[in-house]
Amino acid sequence: MAIQSPSLDLGAGAAVCATPAAHARGYWQQVARRLRRDPVTLVCAAILLLIVASALAAPWLGLADPYKTSMIRRLYPIGSPNFLLGTDELGRDMFARLIYGGRLSLFMGVTPVALALLIGGTLGITAGFLGGRVNMAIMRVMDVFYAFPSVLLAISLSGAMGAGAENTLLALTIVFIPPICRVSESVTTQVRGFDFVDAARASGAGTLTIVRVHVLGNVLGPILVYATSLISVAIILAAGLSFLGLGVKPPEPEWGLMLNTLRQAIYVNPVLAALPGVMIFITSICFNLMSDGLRAAMDVKA
Amino acid sequence: MLLYALRRLIYLVPVAFGVSLLVFALVHLAPGDPISAIVPPDAPKEVVDKLKEYYGFDKPLPVQYGRWLLVTLSGDFGTSIGTGRPVAQEVGSAFGNTIILAIAACLVAFSLAIVLGTAAAYAKSRVVDRLVTSIALVGVSVPHFWLAIVLVIIFSVELGWLPPMGLGPENATGWRLDWPHIRHMILPTIALSVIPLGVMTRTVRSTIKEILSMEFVTALQAKGMNDRQILFHVLKNAAPVCLAVMGLQAGNLIGGSILIETVFAWPGTGFLLNSAIFRRDLPILQGTTLVLAFFFMMLNLTVDVIQTFVDPRIKRG
Amino acid sequence: MFKRLRLAAVAGLFAATAAPAFSQGTLRIGMTAADIPQTTGQPDQGFEGYRFAGYTIYDALVNWDLSKADVLADIKPGLATEWSAVEGGDGKRWIFKLRQGVKFQDGTDFDADVVVWNLEKILNDKSPQFDPKQAAQSRQRVPTLVGWKAIDKYTVELTTRIANALFPYDMSYILYSSPTQWEKLGKDWVKVALQPIGTGPFKVDRVVPRERMELSRFDGYWDKARVPKLDKILLFPMPEAATRTAALLAGQVDWIEVPAPDAIPRLKQGGMSIVTNKYPHNWAYQPSMVEGSPWTDIRVRKAANLAIDRAGLTKLLGGLMIESKGVVYPGHPWFGTPSFDIKYDPAAAKKLLAEAGYSATKKPKIKIAISTSGSGQMLPLPMNEYVQENLNAVGFDATFEVMEWNALVTFSFQPVTGDASTKAGTNGINISRATVDPYSAFMRLYHSDFVPPRGANWGILKDPKLDALINTAHSSFDRAAQTKALADVHTYIVDQAYWVYIAHDLNPRAMSPKVKGFVQAQSWFQDFTPITMQ
Repeated sequence: MAIQSPSLDLGAGAAVCATPAAHARGYWQQVARRLRRDPVTLVCAAILLLIVASALAAPWLGLADPYKTSMIRRLYPIGSPNFLLGTDELGRDMFARLIYGGRLSLFMGVTPVALALLIGGTLGITAGFLGGRVNMAIMRVMDVFYAFPSVLLAISLSGAMGAGAENTLLALTIVFIPPICRVSESVTTQVRGFDFVDAARASGAGTLTIVRVHVLGNVLGPILVYATSLISVAIILAAGLSFLGLGVKPPEPEWGLMLNTLRQAIYVNPVLAALPGVMIFITSICFNLMSDGLRAAMDVKA
Repeated sequence: MLLYALRRLIYLVPVAFGVSLLVFALVHLAPGDPISAIVPPDAPKEVVDKLKEYYGFDKPLPVQYGRWLLVTLSGDFGTSIGTGRPVAQEVGSAFGNTIILAIAACLVAFSLAIVLGTAAAYAKSRVVDRLVTSIALVGVSVPHFWLAIVLVIIFSVELGWLPPMGLGPENATGWRLDWPHIRHMILPTIALSVIPLGVMTRTVRSTIKEILSMEFVTALQAKGMNDRQILFHVLKNAAPVCLAVMGLQAGNLIGGSILIETVFAWPGTGFLLNSAIFRRDLPILQGTTLVLAFFFMMLNLTVDVIQTFVDPRIKRG
Repeated sequence: MFKRLRLAAVAGLFAATAAPAFSQGTLRIGMTAADIPQTTGQPDQGFEGYRFAGYTIYDALVNWDLSKADVLADIKPGLATEWSAVEGGDGKRWIFKLRQGVKFQDGTDFDADVVVWNLEKILNDKSPQFDPKQAAQSRQRVPTLVGWKAIDKYTVELTTRIANALFPYDMSYILYSSPTQWEKLGKDWVKVALQPIGTGPFKVDRVVPRERMELSRFDGYWDKARVPKLDKILLFPMPEAATRTAALLAGQVDWIEVPAPDAIPRLKQGGMSIVTNKYPHNWAYQPSMVEGSPWTDIRVRKAANLAIDRAGLTKLLGGLMIESKGVVYPGHPWFGTPSFDIKYDPAAAKKLLAEAGYSATKKPKIKIAISTSGSGQMLPLPMNEYVQENLNAVGFDATFEVMEWNALVTFSFQPVTGDASTKAGTNGINISRATVDPYSAFMRLYHSDFVPPRGANWGILKDPKLDALINTAHSSFDRAAQTKALADVHTYIVDQAYWVYIAHDLNPRAMSPKVKGFVQAQSWFQDFTPITMQ
């Protein structure tokens, strides 16, 4: 069946699961070749690269200080001299804040997914490969987390632990572990049943070798595709938490928080107030399209 | 079928127990004193202690959990610290409001998604397909709370067409199916339905595309069936997958409407949860989270059972 | 899809014009509270609760005179017609003469037994009608009240722990709910909350938790001059400023509390009027006065007071503040004649810091606990960032410990020497204070007996001279002497620059031009009875 489209609903991806396939030699080269020929994915990758690179290199780009407030230059419109994208409600340079904001916003999108991929993936592959009681134990615990809609879980966790970037990071990681674990478990279980695994085992290969060579090589693709589709979800969720006042704390530049603090300015300068939302939107779209491209290139059925 | 449903239900018991433990742990993980949130800054200590005793916060945590579990099993969720009203009543009315909005959003999103998704899968022209996939992509990528604010500014403040907040007209109590109430629902419904619209459109499109490429469709064509008859077969085959995703989407709408409810001051569970978090109203927090999680679990179960019923290929011992 | 959208839009347009017209006298208000305040008698949600669910539904023995905008609101007879300290009672015994003929909204009589019953409700844990929730909201408002008894049907005698000349102010916070209604509803305060009965000018028609409260005119109100002109008031909790603004502009409410400064031009453009007035509110930094704190040096305190560009801050707030020159604003009867003029003078501030032995390499380190939002906190983040800029410009090293409002309130329950503050390394706190009466303005904040948890002297200020001045005020039973004593207290506090005084809020509210006859009193409370709707 199909790998699910990304959405704030994570359950779908796991319930309807990815199908792994035994890959021929040179598979990854083939994937790379396909990706190179996909213009949409390339453009998205380029945009993302630009956002990431400028966010990382922000301190050296000669931007204005994103924390420097000034009450005399509040809410300057877009295109003001010296302030390309105007200034925010505290007179801070919007352009600098949007660029710097990419740091936390992207970090909040990518890191929880990466951490969850590491933890959830390991747990899922272990459960799938070993089966039996281990599988039972791991998957039942996941079921408990699964009983919560993802947004609810993220909000409850953040609400419990309090606002702050670290807590948001932790909350989102916890939210993403169960779905990734489920996908990994189900993919691994299927691979384990493939003939070549039995063959390897018959030829006397050790468990570790089997996992490393035969299982990992075949399950990583689908798991990775699924995980990339979660990044845009993570970005929107993190922004949503900040928007509610449960995420990143001021005065840090972060798109969700900027959206929140600029909400009052909507009557003074609506376009300016909408900018952080546009950034979230663009990034999210790019990640989604990249994920689609990756899926097509890896020939994971969609 | 019935046996399967029953077995799944029994299996839910340990999970439900785990969920209750998780909810309790979550709520009590939070730093800060729940009583301090409701008394004035300079309230005397003995009054604060009295209130702690009144709500049972002076007991050790395992005892508090046991007591909570017992009263919860009897259908009583305790009383809200903030308002003193029974939690069951608070959550009940809020839950009803959330469901109303979720149903509206589901109706809009799912019907539109089925039409768009099927059209895209069938489309001979790339333009239609591109258009539909773009709409779906926007749906899954747009920060919906931001869209909600933009909608309020345009349609409420600037154009003055639709009310920006609330459940219904000022002089009515509760929700009724009439035009004044529907007016209040239009903007939140649009904002809430973008995500499921995007997800479902993608699901419907890819599922139908996959089925169309299967051999049996060619076989049906060879048998001389007309397009409408084939469409019926295709939809029938696509139903199980789509149903599963719809179920989860519906569950997520109910559990995830907090952002939209906050923007529109819609008095549902999300709104309740948000204020409970900031007021540290533990009984409300516990009750709401638990009810939503249980509802989500039951919804998943129902979808699973229905799926087994409609899809003969899935055999579950 | 587009066709459908257009249909919806056209239908919406139609509905907007055909929306049901309200009866002439209904006022719809968007409050900042996240829920309907407690309606049983003693409201929660701070003074906003008193404003909307306190003095509307109920009366106190001592009411506030909210009829004038040009002078500070003061107390006046309410359910009591007169009061006085008993001769020879050491200033600890008070006689309150009750107003005769006052009826509750359920038709029952108000008398001395009702007063005793209500005091037991909040002060006697053993009484059947004791309500911990009302007790939590009101006990600290009558910290000296220890005894009460009915002398006859219309006379009560109240006893205080210590001589307290300002006791009548305290009694303005105790409201009287109907004992009969509580009996009738099965002695259940939760039920009373939905159908409360008071003696006030408005009665409660309906309470829909978290959504709205409906009040209507009580024709049998005892003060004929204050029988409301309005038919109804509808109150909606709208904690989000953006929601309030949108609701007012879209015509869903007629009146909003605390509009966001940035929304004010748009509100004006939409024909709304912005009503402001000064009132007893104080937005300041309360410093640590324990050993080792830089604030113990008066030169540092004065420097901080002189470093702040209050005019710039006023601009940031769209004009919605008064530049602070002390605990209360100039013109207030207690302002007195301080010689230290709190103003913006960065040069003098730098000079004072240099005199105190600080330099660019050795800056006074200050760390203030601030909140991200909160009732009365105005715009805490932008304002604090602005003040930080000012302080650092004259040579301070100012940082913040940022927390949520509730966390900050909890934080303030321990004095500066407590765990919370020690852990955070803070030596100052920014909680806005209501300075309505002498106890809340001075005693609880500056008197050495009132270190938390007993009061709110968070920084543990210990100044015997100031204690004596405050005590004098609290034992001056003559009104003129009292005012003079309070002015002496204030003069001394300002001259010592005990806090860093920054701003007084202007209590802004925005309302549609349909609202007529409103007089904004210099108070946290307001009178809704003279209002009419056009």
